Amino acid sequence: MRLAMSEARRAGRLAAALLLAATCLSSLPAAAQGRPAVVVTPGERQTFKAALQRFADPSTSTDPARTAKFREALAQALLFSGVFEIIDPKAFLGPDQTENFENRDGLACVDWTTVGADAFVEGRITADARNYTAEFRIWDTARCKRLLRKRYRQGVDLDPGILAKRAADDIVAAFIGVRGVSSTEMVFVSDRTGSKEIFLMDADGGRQRAVTANGSINNFPSWSPSGDSIIYTSYRHRNQPNLFVTTRGRGQPQRLLVGFDRNLSQYRGVFDPVGKQVAVVMSDGSPSEIYRVTPGSRKLHQLTRNQAIDVSPTWSPNGEEIVYVSDRAGSPQLYLMDADGKYSRRLTFNGSYNTAPAWSPDGKWIAYETRVGGQFDIWLIDPEGRVNVPLITHPRSDEAPSWAPNSRKIAFSSTRRGLADIYITDLAGTDPVRVTSGAGNNTSPGWGPFPR
Amino acid sequence: MLVLSILGHAGLLFALSYRSSAPVMRLPGVVSVELVAAPPSAAPAPPVARPAPPPKPVVEKVVLPKEPAAPKVKPKPVVKKPPLPKPKPVERDLDDVLADLRADAGEPTPEPIAAAAPSAGAGGVGQPVPPEVAAWIRQAKIHVRRTWVLPPAFRTQALEAHVLVDLDAQGNVLGEPRVVRRSGNPWYDEGVVRAIQKASPLPPPPAADEWAFVFIPSDSF
Repeated sequence: MRLAMSEARRAGRLAAALLLAATCLSSLPAAAQGRPAVVVTPGERQTFKAALQRFADPSTSTDPARTAKFREALAQALLFSGVFEIIDPKAFLGPDQTENFENRDGLACVDWTTVGADAFVEGRITADARNYTAEFRIWDTARCKRLLRKRYRQGVDLDPGILAKRAADDIVAAFIGVRGVSSTEMVFVSDRTGSKEIFLMDADGGRQRAVTANGSINNFPSWSPSGDSIIYTSYRHRNQPNLFVTTRGRGQPQRLLVGFDRNLSQYRGVFDPVGKQVAVVMSDGSPSEIYRVTPGSRKLHQLTRNQAIDVSPTWSPNGEEIVYVSDRAGSPQLYLMDADGKYSRRLTFNGSYNTAPAWSPDGKWIAYETRVGGQFDIWLIDPEGRVNVPLITHPRSDEAPSWAPNSRKIAFSSTRRGLADIYITDLAGTDPVRVTSGAGNNTSPGWGPFPR
Repeated sequence: MLVLSILGHAGLLFALSYRSSAPVMRLPGVVSVELVAAPPSAAPAPPVARPAPPPKPVVEKVVLPKEPAAPKVKPKPVVKKPPLPKPKPVERDLDDVLADLRADAGEPTPEPIAAAAPSAGAGGVGQPVPPEVAAWIRQAKIHVRRTWVLPPAFRTQALEAHVLVDLDAQGNVLGEPRVVRRSGNPWYDEGVVRAIQKASPLPPPPAADEWAFVFIPSDSF
């Protein structure tokens, strides 16, 4: 009987494979149908190779090394994407620096395919008293086809590396259809100065700078969808938790919600995807509830109403649903509800402590932390609750996941080196990269949107 | 007559019950095609805004209140489900699968593709393929897979692109390969065309002609 089963299984597998092969060929025109197709499956290569020229610099530059610096910044940003590796310019057969950027039509592609380049990037940098401009072209060398030409401009007082990152993100998009995130920013909480303050940095960990320095407790930073503002909870006003908003170039932070009952503590706020309303966790001393409110108005729309603690709201990318955490079943679990508070339903059933949900911008996954033993791991669950898989498992705690705007990377904090730091990983969860270091604990990352 | 009828029905029932207990062949799942991303926006973005300046330090005497936290519950013994396997690129390919099938069936495996792939022009499955064609297919496949760059995010999706490639007698790719069945993801399709262009010249084919290539992520079915 076992033999018969084995025979049948083999026959089934063979039939399945043959049917697949037949399906593969059915779309081919008659000319090629007389022979089997060459069925190609991927080998080991997962990254494209990029040849980056030093950009032409026709203006009289005060910094003769700036094209070399720009190329280095571009290379670092492409490496950060995980999609490209960089060819050493010493191996170039073609010119190291862009020549005749404006008037040249074609490209000696063979010079670049010979050194193994998939992508070739050339460009020109110009600057006047006020602005710094970078123009560039991206080539697909194998097809000898220009994929993109683009120009960015910014004030001369800003770091040219910002333009290099934006160019790198475009190059990534030209090859995989999904924009890179090296030009995005991240907020986080750090106690490096002795109190919990909000900090801002580039997504790769560069340019770390303080957003708050009030010596109080500041926590739960998140972004407005435009990327212009950061909202966070601070105890700086009367030692009560209140939501504050800091807007680029506007100086002092402001309280986000005013005119409400002073005894109503505001624990956490998250903008909806269009930036009009905020889901807020508030409490008057009884277990916290989730509300929806439009900044500037005094009307609260209560979304949860029960004796349990309801916290950590996060909007779905289409703004129609909210995932949040409630202990109404006896332990913290993830729940979904419609944005008007209706149809609340439990999402997680595995694990005794699930919290910190973060909905991916593409809507496919909700990342969350789950307690295993005395520490936390990060898992992914789809909004239907059908697939629930671990992403980061480590003997030390991994917490507070936050999605990159392209849904291809996740930032989280981890105590794997003792003090907490911010790490970035891809959706395979392999080899997280640490992007903060130094004194203090760095926690609660909030990954910002694409720059406009 | 009645006895004969009873015996006949009993025999039929026995035959049916035996048949129903036999193992059922399973057909492969349908390969779904998913559009994972829209083409990039052509609109150039304006310059980056200046980062928010840090607010001035506010000297406040504060008594640090207790922070809000996630709901507290008594720790319970955690029963962790065995983690599901992570999506991971599978290095096996159709050749390998078919070779396994043949090994299971006790068949020789000199030319797995040729033996398994149907010759649609001949209208049948399992038609013999000339050895030189089968050998070239294997060489061409190895050659092209070396030049095919497929980032991890593509490897977990059900994508399939069919491409026709015009080859001369030396294996040079003539003109632009034609994608005759698109995967639904234009960057995947561009990637397979790029792989073929980079692979030129391929091993000299048995005939200067148009040859069909099918590109599939290894774990998409």
